[in-house]
Amino acid sequence: MDYPRSRVPRWTIDDPDRVVTMYGELGNKLVQHAKRTQALAQLPPYQTEIVRAVTREVRDLDRDVARLLDPFEGSFNPSADPATACSLLVDHLCMRRNKRCLMAYHRVRTEKLEELCWTGVDVLEQQQPSDGSEDRGVSQSAGGHSSLSPEEEEYFRLYSDMLAAYKGQWTDVDLTGTLEPPKDLFIDVRVLKDAGEIQTEYGVINLTKNSQLYVRQGDVERLIAQGFLERLS
Amino acid sequence: MSYYDIDSILTDAQKLPCTFELEVPGLGILEGNPGDDIKAGTRIDLPLWLGEMLSIGARLGTSRLVTLDMPDALAERVMNALKADPRTVDLRALAPHFYTLSERILEIFEEEEMVDVLINTFKKRAAEISDHAHNPRGAVGDGVDFLRGLDETERQLFRAAHDRAKQVRIWAGEAKKK
Repeated sequence: MDYPRSRVPRWTIDDPDRVVTMYGELGNKLVQHAKRTQALAQLPPYQTEIVRAVTREVRDLDRDVARLLDPFEGSFNPSADPATACSLLVDHLCMRRNKRCLMAYHRVRTEKLEELCWTGVDVLEQQQPSDGSEDRGVSQSAGGHSSLSPEEEEYFRLYSDMLAAYKGQWTDVDLTGTLEPPKDLFIDVRVLKDAGEIQTEYGVINLTKNSQLYVRQGDVERLIAQGFLERLS
Repeated sequence: MSYYDIDSILTDAQKLPCTFELEVPGLGILEGNPGDDIKAGTRIDLPLWLGEMLSIGARLGTSRLVTLDMPDALAERVMNALKADPRTVDLRALAPHFYTLSERILEIFEEEEMVDVLINTFKKRAAEISDHAHNPRGAVGDGVDFLRGLDETERQLFRAAHDRAKQVRIWAGEAKKK
Protein backbone atom coordinates (compact mmCIF):
# COMPACT_ATOMS: atom_id res chain seq x y z
CA MET A 1 0.00 0.00 0.00
CA ASP A 2 1.46 3.29 -1.00
CA TYR A 3 0.63 5.88 1.60
CA PRO A 4 0.54 9.52 0.71
CA ARG A 5 3.73 10.33 2.52
CA SER A 6 4.20 13.98 3.08
CA ARG A 7 1.69 16.15 4.74
CA VAL A 8 2.53 19.72 4.02
CA PRO A 9 3.05 21.69 7.20
CA ARG A 10 -0.05 23.68 6.59
CA TRP A 11 0.64 26.93 8.30
CA THR A 12 3.83 27.57 6.43
CA ILE A 13 1.95 27.85 3.15
CA ASP A 14 0.31 31.14 3.93
CA ASP A 15 2.52 32.59 6.55
CA PRO A 16 6.15 31.64 7.07
CA ASP A 17 6.23 33.25 10.51
CA ARG A 18 3.46 31.21 11.97
CA VAL A 19 4.61 28.58 14.38
CA VAL A 20 3.22 25.14 13.73
CA THR A 21 0.29 24.70 16.02
CA MET A 22 -1.50 21.61 16.97
CA TYR A 23 -5.00 21.50 15.52
CA GLY A 24 -7.56 23.06 17.76
CA GLU A 25 -5.10 25.32 19.60
CA LEU A 26 -6.41 28.37 17.80
CA GLY A 27 -9.97 27.40 18.50
CA ASN A 28 -9.02 27.07 22.10
CA LYS A 29 -7.63 30.57 22.10
CA LEU A 30 -10.95 31.77 20.79
CA VAL A 31 -12.82 30.04 23.56
CA GLN A 32 -10.52 31.57 26.13
CA HIS A 33 -11.43 34.95 24.68
CA ALA A 34 -15.07 34.01 25.07
CA LYS A 35 -14.46 33.03 28.66
CA ARG A 36 -12.99 36.45 29.36
CA THR A 37 -15.84 38.14 27.50
CA GLN A 38 -18.36 36.53 29.82
CA ALA A 39 -16.86 38.32 32.78
CA LEU A 40 -16.70 41.73 31.12
CA ALA A 41 -19.38 44.40 31.04
CA GLN A 42 -18.40 45.52 27.58
CA LEU A 43 -17.78 43.64 24.43
CA PRO A 44 -14.06 43.31 23.63
CA PRO A 45 -12.92 43.61 20.01
CA TYR A 46 -13.92 40.86 17.61
CA GLN A 47 -11.01 38.50 17.00
CA THR A 48 -11.06 38.68 13.23
CA GLU A 49 -7.60 37.22 12.84
CA ILE A 50 -8.15 34.15 14.98
CA VAL A 51 -11.58 33.46 13.53
CA ARG A 52 -10.06 33.63 10.08
CA ALA A 53 -7.19 31.36 11.07
CA VAL A 54 -9.56 28.78 12.51
CA THR A 55 -11.73 28.72 9.40
CA ARG A 56 -8.56 28.39 7.34
CA GLU A 57 -7.57 25.43 9.49
CA VAL A 58 -10.93 23.82 8.80
CA ARG A 59 -10.51 24.37 5.08
CA ASP A 60 -7.03 22.84 5.18
CA LEU A 61 -8.34 19.85 7.07
CA ASP A 62 -11.12 19.40 4.57
CA ARG A 63 -8.60 19.49 1.74
CA ASP A 64 -6.57 16.89 3.58
CA VAL A 65 -9.58 14.61 3.87
CA ALA A 66 -10.23 14.96 0.15
CA ARG A 67 -6.60 14.17 -0.57
CA LEU A 68 -6.63 11.09 1.65
CA LEU A 69 -9.82 9.77 0.11
CA ASP A 70 -8.88 10.55 -3.45
CA PRO A 71 -6.99 7.33 -4.28
CA PHE A 72 -9.88 5.19 -3.03
CA GLU A 73 -12.42 6.54 -5.50
CA GLY A 74 -15.35 6.32 -3.18
CA SER A 75 -14.83 2.78 -1.95
CA PHE A 76 -12.94 3.32 1.27
CA ASN A 77 -13.06 0.52 3.81
CA PRO A 78 -11.86 1.65 7.25
CA SER A 79 -11.08 -1.79 8.62
CA ALA A 80 -8.87 -2.61 5.63
CA ASP A 81 -6.76 0.48 6.18
CA PRO A 82 -6.81 1.52 9.84
CA ALA A 83 -3.97 4.02 9.51
CA THR A 84 -5.75 6.11 6.90
CA ALA A 85 -8.96 5.73 8.84
CA CYS A 86 -7.16 7.13 11.87
CA SER A 87 -5.91 10.11 9.89
CA LEU A 88 -9.39 10.75 8.60
CA LEU A 89 -10.84 10.48 12.07
CA VAL A 90 -8.31 12.95 13.43
CA ASP A 91 -9.08 15.38 10.61
CA HIS A 92 -12.78 15.04 11.15
CA LEU A 93 -12.57 15.46 14.90
CA CYS A 94 -10.43 18.56 14.52
CA MET A 95 -12.93 20.10 12.16
CA ARG A 96 -15.76 19.31 14.52
CA ARG A 97 -13.84 20.76 17.41
CA ASN A 98 -13.10 23.95 15.51
CA LYS A 99 -16.74 24.26 14.59
CA ARG A 100 -17.73 23.99 18.22
CA CYS A 101 -15.18 26.62 19.25
CA LEU A 102 -16.34 29.02 16.56
CA MET A 103 -20.00 28.51 17.39
CA ALA A 104 -19.44 28.98 21.11
CA TYR A 105 -17.35 32.10 20.61
CA HIS A 106 -19.97 33.75 18.45
CA ARG A 107 -22.78 32.68 20.67
CA VAL A 108 -21.20 34.25 23.74
CA ARG A 109 -20.86 37.48 21.81
CA THR A 110 -24.38 37.50 20.40
CA GLU A 111 -25.80 36.80 23.83
CA LYS A 112 -23.84 39.78 25.11
CA LEU A 113 -25.22 41.89 22.27
CA GLU A 114 -28.77 40.88 23.09
CA GLU A 115 -28.16 41.74 26.71
CA LEU A 116 -26.86 45.18 25.72
CA CYS A 117 -29.95 45.62 23.56
CA TRP A 118 -32.20 44.96 26.52
CA THR A 119 -30.31 47.27 28.83
CA GLY A 120 -30.59 50.00 26.23
CA VAL A 121 -26.91 50.47 25.44
CA ASP A 122 -26.49 51.49 21.85
CA VAL A 123 -23.31 49.72 20.85
CA LEU A 124 -23.31 51.11 17.34
CA GLU A 125 -23.72 54.66 18.53
CA GLN A 126 -20.90 54.34 21.03
CA GLN A 127 -18.33 52.80 18.79
CA GLN A 128 -18.92 54.40 15.44
CA PRO A 129 -15.53 55.42 14.07
CA SER A 130 -15.22 59.13 13.65
CA ASP A 131 -13.73 59.11 10.18
CA GLY A 132 -16.66 57.14 8.82
CA SER A 133 -14.60 55.12 6.37
CA GLU A 134 -14.34 51.81 8.08
CA ASP A 135 -11.68 49.50 6.83
CA ARG A 136 -13.55 46.37 7.70
CA GLY A 137 -11.72 43.68 9.49
CA VAL A 138 -8.21 44.84 8.78
CA SER A 139 -7.31 46.39 12.07
CA GLN A 140 -9.85 46.16 14.81
CA SER A 141 -7.45 47.17 17.51
CA ALA A 142 -6.85 50.63 16.10
CA GLY A 143 -8.60 53.05 18.39
CA GLY A 144 -12.06 54.23 17.53
CA HIS A 145 -12.94 51.23 15.42
CA SER A 146 -15.92 49.13 16.16
CA SER A 147 -15.34 46.12 18.34
CA LEU A 148 -18.08 44.35 16.45
CA SER A 149 -17.71 42.44 13.24
CA PRO A 150 -19.87 43.70 10.36
CA GLU A 151 -22.14 40.70 10.85
CA GLU A 152 -22.51 41.48 14.53
CA GLU A 153 -23.41 45.08 13.75
CA GLU A 154 -26.10 43.82 11.42
CA TYR A 155 -27.32 41.40 14.07
CA PHE A 156 -27.45 44.14 16.66
CA ARG A 157 -29.38 46.41 14.34
CA LEU A 158 -31.93 43.77 13.44
CA TYR A 159 -32.29 42.60 17.03
CA SER A 160 -32.88 46.17 18.16
CA ASP A 161 -35.56 46.55 15.50
CA MET A 162 -37.19 43.36 16.60
CA LEU A 163 -37.11 44.37 20.24
CA ALA A 164 -38.59 47.76 19.37
CA ALA A 165 -41.37 46.10 17.40
CA TYR A 166 -42.07 43.77 20.31
CA LYS A 167 -42.11 46.60 22.81
CA GLY A 168 -44.34 48.65 20.54
CA GLN A 169 -47.28 46.44 21.37
CA TRP A 170 -47.54 47.96 24.83
CA THR A 171 -47.48 51.70 24.84
CA ASP A 172 -48.12 52.09 28.54
CA VAL A 173 -45.40 49.72 29.75
CA ASP A 174 -41.71 50.12 29.07
CA LEU A 175 -40.43 46.57 28.92
CA THR A 176 -36.79 47.60 29.09
CA GLY A 177 -37.40 50.11 31.84
CA THR A 178 -35.84 49.73 35.24
CA LEU A 179 -37.40 47.36 37.73
CA GLU A 180 -36.49 49.61 40.62
CA PRO A 181 -39.43 51.58 41.94
CA PRO A 182 -38.42 55.24 41.79
CA LYS A 183 -37.96 57.07 45.08
CA ASP A 184 -38.84 60.39 43.54
CA LEU A 185 -41.03 61.11 40.58
CA PHE A 186 -38.85 64.03 39.55
CA ILE A 187 -35.07 64.13 39.45
CA ASP A 188 -32.27 66.57 38.72
CA VAL A 189 -30.30 65.85 35.59
CA ARG A 190 -27.47 67.47 33.74
CA VAL A 191 -27.29 67.34 29.95
CA LEU A 192 -24.01 65.86 28.72
CA LYS A 193 -24.72 65.90 24.99
CA ASP A 194 -27.12 67.96 22.92
CA ALA A 195 -30.21 65.88 22.34
CA GLY A 196 -32.59 68.44 20.89
CA GLU A 197 -36.18 68.75 21.98
CA ILE A 198 -38.13 65.95 23.54
CA GLN A 199 -41.87 65.65 24.05
CA THR A 200 -43.16 64.86 27.50
CA GLU A 201 -46.52 64.81 29.16
CA TYR A 202 -45.85 68.26 30.53
CA GLY A 203 -44.74 69.79 27.30
CA VAL A 204 -41.53 70.14 25.39
CA ILE A 205 -38.12 70.28 27.03
CA ASN A 206 -35.07 71.45 25.25
CA LEU A 207 -31.90 69.51 26.03
CA THR A 208 -28.88 71.67 25.40
CA LYS A 209 -25.45 70.72 26.63
CA ASN A 210 -24.49 71.61 30.20
CA SER A 211 -27.97 72.73 31.15
CA GLN A 212 -29.50 71.41 34.34
CA LEU A 213 -33.10 70.33 34.54
CA TYR A 214 -35.67 69.04 36.98
CA VAL A 215 -37.68 66.48 35.05
CA ARG A 216 -39.87 63.47 35.47
CA GLN A 217 -37.71 60.38 35.83
CA GLY A 218 -39.79 58.24 33.52
CA ASP A 219 -39.36 60.69 30.68
CA VAL A 220 -35.59 60.69 30.70
CA GLU A 221 -34.70 57.16 31.75
CA ARG A 222 -33.79 56.14 28.22
CA LEU A 223 -31.67 59.23 27.72
CA ILE A 224 -29.72 58.51 30.89
CA ALA A 225 -29.10 54.95 29.74
CA GLN A 226 -27.93 56.24 26.38
CA GLY A 227 -25.53 58.68 28.00
CA PHE A 228 -27.19 61.95 27.01
CA LEU A 229 -28.04 62.90 30.55
CA GLU A 230 -26.39 62.41 33.89
CA ARG A 231 -28.38 62.03 37.03
CA LEU A 232 -27.49 64.34 39.88
CA SER A 233 -28.05 63.00 43.34
CA MET B 1 -22.61 20.27 29.64
CA SER B 2 -24.15 21.89 26.65
CA TYR B 3 -22.56 22.12 23.22
CA TYR B 4 -22.04 25.85 23.65
CA ASP B 5 -20.84 25.75 27.23
CA ILE B 6 -17.50 27.53 27.42
CA ASP B 7 -16.31 25.71 30.52
CA SER B 8 -17.18 22.39 29.00
CA ILE B 9 -15.17 23.25 25.89
CA LEU B 10 -12.20 24.29 27.99
CA THR B 11 -12.52 21.09 29.99
CA ASP B 12 -12.29 19.09 26.79
CA ALA B 13 -9.12 20.94 25.86
CA GLN B 14 -7.21 19.51 28.81
CA LYS B 15 -4.70 16.92 27.86
CA LEU B 16 -4.23 13.34 28.78
CA PRO B 17 -1.53 10.88 27.81
CA CYS B 18 -2.34 8.65 24.85
CA THR B 19 -0.35 5.81 23.37
CA PHE B 20 -0.72 5.10 19.68
CA GLU B 21 -1.28 1.44 18.89
CA LEU B 22 -0.51 1.59 15.20
CA GLU B 23 1.73 3.48 12.87
CA VAL B 24 0.01 6.40 11.22
CA PRO B 25 1.82 8.09 8.38
CA GLY B 26 1.80 11.85 8.24
CA LEU B 27 0.18 12.45 11.59
CA GLY B 28 3.35 13.85 13.16
CA ILE B 29 1.73 17.24 13.59
CA LEU B 30 0.14 15.91 16.75
CA GLU B 31 3.63 15.61 18.14
CA GLY B 32 4.71 18.93 16.78
CA ASN B 33 6.58 17.48 13.81
CA PRO B 34 4.37 18.04 10.80
CA GLY B 35 5.14 15.78 7.88
CA ASP B 36 6.55 13.01 10.04
CA ASP B 37 4.89 9.74 10.86
CA ILE B 38 3.70 8.52 14.21
CA LYS B 39 5.16 5.19 15.22
CA ALA B 40 3.22 2.58 17.07
CA GLY B 41 3.79 2.94 20.79
CA THR B 42 4.36 6.69 20.67
CA ARG B 43 3.14 8.46 23.76
CA ILE B 44 1.62 11.90 23.20
CA ASP B 45 -0.46 14.20 25.33
CA LEU B 46 -3.64 14.75 23.38
CA PRO B 47 -6.59 16.94 24.30
CA LEU B 48 -9.55 15.10 25.69
CA TRP B 49 -11.79 15.80 22.72
CA LEU B 50 -9.35 14.03 20.43
CA GLY B 51 -8.05 11.27 22.65
CA GLU B 52 -11.47 10.17 23.82
CA MET B 53 -12.85 9.64 20.34
CA LEU B 54 -9.69 7.91 19.10
CA SER B 55 -9.84 5.46 21.97
CA ILE B 56 -13.45 4.54 21.27
CA GLY B 57 -12.45 2.27 18.42
CA ALA B 58 -11.04 -0.07 21.03
CA ARG B 59 -14.40 -0.49 22.64
CA LEU B 60 -16.24 -1.09 19.41
CA GLY B 61 -14.02 -4.07 18.77
CA THR B 62 -12.57 -2.64 15.60
CA SER B 63 -8.92 -1.80 15.42
CA ARG B 64 -7.58 -0.03 18.47
CA LEU B 65 -6.14 3.35 17.62
CA VAL B 66 -4.88 4.69 20.92
CA THR B 67 -5.02 3.73 24.56
CA LEU B 68 -5.61 6.34 27.20
CA ASP B 69 -3.92 6.81 30.53
CA MET B 70 -4.88 8.76 33.59
CA PRO B 71 -3.85 12.38 33.32
CA ASP B 72 -1.23 13.57 35.80
CA ALA B 73 -3.85 15.67 37.56
CA LEU B 74 -5.55 12.49 38.74
CA ALA B 75 -2.44 10.44 39.42
CA GLU B 76 -2.10 8.18 42.43
CA ARG B 77 0.18 10.75 44.07
CA VAL B 78 -2.54 13.42 43.86
CA MET B 79 -5.17 11.07 45.20
CA ASN B 80 -2.98 10.32 48.20
CA ALA B 81 -2.50 14.02 48.86
CA LEU B 82 -6.24 14.56 48.63
CA LYS B 83 -6.84 11.72 51.05
CA ALA B 84 -4.40 13.24 53.50
CA ASP B 85 -5.77 16.77 53.42
CA PRO B 86 -7.92 18.10 50.58
CA ARG B 87 -7.44 21.69 51.65
CA THR B 88 -3.71 21.87 51.06
CA VAL B 89 -3.76 20.76 47.42
CA ASP B 90 -3.50 23.39 44.70
CA LEU B 91 -6.13 22.07 42.31
CA ARG B 92 -5.70 24.91 39.88
CA ALA B 93 -2.07 24.02 39.29
CA LEU B 94 -3.12 20.44 38.54
CA ALA B 95 -5.89 21.37 36.12
CA PRO B 96 -7.83 24.63 35.81
CA HIS B 97 -11.04 22.64 35.38
CA PHE B 98 -10.19 19.92 37.84
CA TYR B 99 -13.65 18.65 38.76
CA THR B 100 -15.18 18.78 35.31
CA LEU B 101 -12.09 17.02 33.98
CA SER B 102 -12.45 14.32 36.63
CA GLU B 103 -16.08 13.91 35.67
CA ARG B 104 -15.18 13.34 32.04
CA ILE B 105 -12.31 11.00 32.93
CA LEU B 106 -14.51 8.94 35.19
CA GLU B 107 -16.92 8.47 32.31
CA ILE B 108 -14.07 6.68 30.59
CA PHE B 109 -12.35 4.87 33.44
CA GLU B 110 -13.92 2.78 36.14
CA GLU B 111 -12.45 4.07 39.41
CA GLU B 112 -14.79 3.67 42.34
CA GLU B 113 -12.30 4.81 44.92
CA MET B 114 -11.44 7.96 43.02
CA VAL B 115 -15.11 8.96 43.02
CA ASP B 116 -15.18 8.77 46.81
CA VAL B 117 -11.94 10.68 47.20
CA LEU B 118 -13.14 13.44 44.90
CA ILE B 119 -16.56 13.76 46.51
CA ASN B 120 -14.92 13.98 49.90
CA THR B 121 -12.47 16.56 48.55
CA PHE B 122 -15.27 18.70 47.20
CA LYS B 123 -17.24 18.56 50.42
CA LYS B 124 -14.29 19.48 52.62
CA ARG B 125 -13.18 22.28 50.35
CA ALA B 126 -16.71 23.62 49.82
CA ALA B 127 -17.03 24.19 53.55
CA GLU B 128 -13.74 26.06 53.55
CA ILE B 129 -14.76 28.09 50.49
CA SER B 130 -18.01 29.08 52.10
CA ASP B 131 -16.12 30.18 55.21
CA HIS B 132 -13.82 32.39 53.13
CA ALA B 133 -16.70 33.80 51.10
CA HIS B 134 -18.65 34.85 54.18
CA ASN B 135 -15.71 36.08 56.22
CA PRO B 136 -13.42 37.93 53.88
CA ARG B 137 -9.94 38.25 55.27
CA GLY B 138 -8.58 40.53 52.60
CA ALA B 139 -5.76 39.98 50.16
CA VAL B 140 -3.29 38.98 52.85
CA GLY B 141 -3.60 36.31 55.45
CA ASP B 142 -3.74 32.58 55.65
CA GLY B 143 -6.50 31.97 53.13
CA VAL B 144 -4.77 33.44 50.10
CA ASP B 145 -2.89 30.34 49.04
CA PHE B 146 -5.99 28.24 49.37
CA LEU B 147 -8.13 30.61 47.34
CA ARG B 148 -5.52 30.83 44.63
CA GLY B 149 -5.62 27.07 44.28
CA LEU B 150 -9.34 26.86 43.57
CA ASP B 151 -10.35 25.24 40.32
CA GLU B 152 -12.94 26.82 38.03
CA THR B 153 -15.94 25.12 39.60
CA GLU B 154 -14.80 26.19 43.04
CA ARG B 155 -14.22 29.74 41.91
CA GLN B 156 -17.79 29.92 40.69
CA LEU B 157 -18.92 28.48 43.99
CA PHE B 158 -16.90 31.07 45.86
CA ARG B 159 -18.32 33.89 43.76
CA ALA B 160 -21.86 32.63 44.20
CA ALA B 161 -21.48 32.33 47.98
CA HIS B 162 -19.87 35.75 48.21
CA ASP B 163 -22.47 37.53 46.06
CA ARG B 164 -25.39 35.85 47.74
CA ALA B 165 -24.22 36.93 51.17
CA LYS B 166 -24.00 40.47 49.90
CA GLN B 167 -27.46 40.34 48.36
CA VAL B 168 -28.98 39.07 51.56
CA ARG B 169 -27.48 42.04 53.41
CA ILE B 170 -28.97 44.38 50.82
CA TRP B 171 -32.35 42.70 51.07
CA ALA B 172 -32.27 42.98 54.84
CA GLY B 173 -31.50 46.65 54.47
CA GLU B 174 -28.12 46.40 56.18
CA ALA B 175 -26.15 47.39 53.15
CA LYS B 176 -26.69 49.84 50.33
CA LYS B 177 -26.78 48.83 46.70
CA LYS B 178 -23.43 49.35 44.98
